[in-house]
Amino acid sequence: MTTLHGFPQPAQWKGKDLPRILSRLFQVDDGHRLEVAKRHGAYHTIGSTLFDKSQFELIELVKDSGLRGRGGAGFPTGMKWSFVPRGTGKPVYLVINADEGEPGTFKDRLCMSRDPHLLLEGMIITGFALGVRTAYIYVRGEMLPQIGRLNDAIQEAYAAGLLGENIQGSGYSLDIFVHRGAGAYICGEETGLINSLEGFKGQPRLKPPFPAVSGAFAAPTVVNNVETIMAVPYILQHGAKGYRQWGTDKSPGSKLFSVAGDVNAPGVYEVPLGMPYMEFFELAGGLKGELLGCIPGGSSAPVLNAEETRKATMDYESLASLKSMLGSGAVTPFNSATDVPRYLQTIARFYAHESCGQCTPCREGTGYVDRVLDKVVDGHGRNGDLELIKDLADSYEWTTICAFAPGAAWPIQSFITKFRTHFQAYIEKNPEHAKPRELELERAGAFW
Amino acid sequence: MADLITINVDGKDVQVPAKIQLIEALRTYARTETPAFCYHQDLKVAGNCRICLVEVDGPRGFALAISCHMQTAPGMKVRTQVSSEKIVKLRKGVMEFLLVNHPLDCPICDKAGECTLQEHYMGQGRHESRLDDATGKQYKGGADYRFIDAKGQDRGGKMIDLGPTIVLDQERCIICTRCVRFMDDVAKSPQLDIAGRGDHAYITTFPGEPLDHAYDLNTTDICPVGALTAKHFRFQQRAWLLKSVESIDPSDALGANLVIEYNNGRVWRLMPRRNPEVNKSWIANSTRMLYQDLARNRLTDGKLNGADTTLASALASALAALKAGKRVALVASGHLTSEDNAALLALCASLPGQSEVFGGSWLPVGKSDGIARSGDPVANRKGVALLGIPDNLDALAGRAKEFDVLVVVGHDLWGAAAAKAAALESIPTRIVLSSWVDASVAKATIAIGIRAWAEVRGSMVNINGRVQLLQACPVVPNAELEPAWKVLAQLSAAGKPFSWSSEIDGWKAIQARVPQLASLSYRSIGPSGAIIPLAPLPAAAGV
Ligand SMILES: Cc1cc2nc3c(=O)[nH]c(=O)nc-3n(C[C@H](O)[C@H](O)[C@H](O)COP(=O)(O)O)c2cc1C
Ligand code: SF4
Ligand code: SF4
Repeated sequence: MTTLHGFPQPAQWKGKDLPRILSRLFQVDDGHRLEVAKRHGAYHTIGSTLFDKSQFELIELVKDSGLRGRGGAGFPTGMKWSFVPRGTGKPVYLVINADEGEPGTFKDRLCMSRDPHLLLEGMIITGFALGVRTAYIYVRGEMLPQIGRLNDAIQEAYAAGLLGENIQGSGYSLDIFVHRGAGAYICGEETGLINSLEGFKGQPRLKPPFPAVSGAFAAPTVVNNVETIMAVPYILQHGAKGYRQWGTDKSPGSKLFSVAGDVNAPGVYEVPLGMPYMEFFELAGGLKGELLGCIPGGSSAPVLNAEETRKATMDYESLASLKSMLGSGAVTPFNSATDVPRYLQTIARFYAHESCGQCTPCREGTGYVDRVLDKVVDGHGRNGDLELIKDLADSYEWTTICAFAPGAAWPIQSFITKFRTHFQAYIEKNPEHAKPRELELERAGAFW
Repeated sequence: MADLITINVDGKDVQVPAKIQLIEALRTYARTETPAFCYHQDLKVAGNCRICLVEVDGPRGFALAISCHMQTAPGMKVRTQVSSEKIVKLRKGVMEFLLVNHPLDCPICDKAGECTLQEHYMGQGRHESRLDDATGKQYKGGADYRFIDAKGQDRGGKMIDLGPTIVLDQERCIICTRCVRFMDDVAKSPQLDIAGRGDHAYITTFPGEPLDHAYDLNTTDICPVGALTAKHFRFQQRAWLLKSVESIDPSDALGANLVIEYNNGRVWRLMPRRNPEVNKSWIANSTRMLYQDLARNRLTDGKLNGADTTLASALASALAALKAGKRVALVASGHLTSEDNAALLALCASLPGQSEVFGGSWLPVGKSDGIARSGDPVANRKGVALLGIPDNLDALAGRAKEFDVLVVVGHDLWGAAAAKAAALESIPTRIVLSSWVDASVAKATIAIGIRAWAEVRGSMVNINGRVQLLQACPVVPNAELEPAWKVLAQLSAAGKPFSWSSEIDGWKAIQARVPQLASLSYRSIGPSGAIIPLAPLPAAAGV
């Protein structure tokens, strides 16, 4: 077994094969080159398998497969595609979300550097299904190696007649462009991404209209995550049933999980949905130390305490029942040596820094929470600060334009509720923590 | 009127027009006060301040929505602060967030008294601050926020000079983007933008570029807080001390609606007055600055052959001249109200000698800017034409030798075209009624001061045929000054005198000449004006 950095997954686990839907070429040398990829079956579907099907059949196929978006929200992909209005006279755009900004997530970048052709294949299929003429891959600006790989792969595909005019004599034409972002978390939100793609400031748009109706350049637009689209060729080749051999009924298929934190073998793993988290930690080389809690799906997902983690399985339903989410599939367990308030402080700092600044509650609230947390960690906390923080997070949770604010509120609310004693300990480091706050008017020089 | 639909607000059915912004329906039809910072009737919706949150019934029960972005639809069910504790709490939360990084120095802020933040704090907030010193705030007025950009321009911090007309106090900005949207979508000159992200975002011009658009002062009106302030008004007066009267732009034929604000014997500023049919919420900087002329270079008395004299003696001389005049030329003015021009016609009819009224203007006509100026500097050109006064100034210049007395009212002929006006100098007696010591006063043998546009009541007809009213602001440089129509009525003593007790008599005189106006009164014209009916309605038309 060759372990290439970033993908330490064994071929088998507990005597059974692990799925290789997305990671088929991850351990193949030069798997990113067309020639090698083709030898392993890339672009097999780009021929009669694809072009003999109708757009309707393709969308139904993806609906039947139960594929859900891997960017974070887990929205059913086939359903999203079916929202695209037909015959508007406007072009339909496909935009691949390769912004991968959620802290803890590092799967898309591996996909793009290891197997860019699988993404292109998925895009051709999706493009054909939706009648797309021009597609974009919006890549986080810092990911230069991946951008290079994608551009090389696109060139190879053009040269092989897999992109451009009249693909493989089918009459279908598709052009793909790589767009480099400037590295902002909020440009991963689909309407922020579209604004950035159009050359505007990366700020989410008011909805409605939703992108499927009016997105990029005011035309119908489908935004999908890299991993979502990379699952499409397998579904076309093996059918909905073939895809559903993995995973659970409501969360079919496999998913890439990027695990970091207190495990012995951090990296990206492709496992069937529904695997228990504890088993997954074993796969990732075992936990380091005693489990204290786990962020199950990227920093926005509400944290699980140890008990919940032991119960949880890696699928949409289980996490929803625990009031958390699968998110982007970034798994971050932490052990009892963790300084939880500092841990949360880092997360809060991230959201305060990345809020796009449009909505009052998110703009001012994330910064306010960050400053109160700083104060607590610096040993100036007071009784009541935790309630304040929680209350502020409640205030911005559902009152904004995009889902950034709830994503920023959930870690705050869940950490403070589930690990309250850790925060209280910090507050008690302040000898004056119980002293009541002076009222404005009684404080000298307090007017300004 | 558009068809009405029924929506339900806080359990009560309300009739509202379909597809208007819900916030308008709440404010106007449901009479539910709904706060907003970023929403403005004449700008695109941005939906960023979040204070207009309501709950709207949908497929999954009541969900939060911002009322500025929603449109009314039949059967819509809405809960506002009246019936939803949640909305009360969340709006309080938004207020708390808005104030957390905002300075609390209203007593020294120029916007105090007309600040949306103050208003809504009293309406929706009234919370005790939970911010303590150790937490601290982002005080963007501080020295650490000041920096010199790549082009050497001073940025961030307090009292930033944005351009010729506007000063920015960064720490007060609440990032509502009203000013940005105004510059982008109304002025069509994107000179402002929000830079940065999160609570470190700030409003700025582009590096090395000033804010210098001919309409940029409107941003100071729509700025809900004291961030953008006008250099000419900043720290001159407290907003609550100002009294106001409604009038219109006298310098352009669109007649943008405005408010004259005065106090302590001085006019301090002109503010746009919203009229969706005329100027929306905007006036040009040049219109706004007209107030300065009200106290500058005024003709407050009379002049005889260039030498100062009292109003009474100038009037007496003019009377004598008119009595003796054999052929009198009177020049009407599109810069004055229709009532003034009607008085000029009445004077013409009353004079003993042969007299004739001329009209028109020598000022060049420009193009409309599509915002609040039509480009025609003669505000009441249409009104003068409606009275039947011809556009024949050139003819007057050609026939100057025929006349022995010239009467010019509120019309700087020499200022507009000195070369053409030179022909008129052959008329031996030149009586000029003017508000300012202008080029025509210099050429007058008898000059009589009159009230200026801001000091009179009357009507004008704009370029689109809308009759609009001017109201008199009580601030006058000399209490003895009279409106033009009154002076003209006094001059009619030279022949068969007519006397009007007020502008209303002038309006009646206009109606007598212009039958289309018969159905209108000052009251029915009202603050937003009235389009002139094309022809008297046939009796059977109903309605
Ligand atoms: C603040 C924020 C950041 C996001 N960042 C990403 C991202 O980096 N990558 C991504 O694929 N989706 C991201 N999303 C989710 C996208 O908005 C969108 O749901 C997704 O691209 C849809 O693709 P999918 O249906 O294939 O998951 C983000 C969402 C939010 C609210
Ligand atoms: S919620 Fe935050 S990130 Fe999203 S649009 Fe509003 S300010 Fe921007
Ligand atoms: S300067 Fe005023 S109008 Fe402009 S964004 Fe700030 S608060 Fe809004």
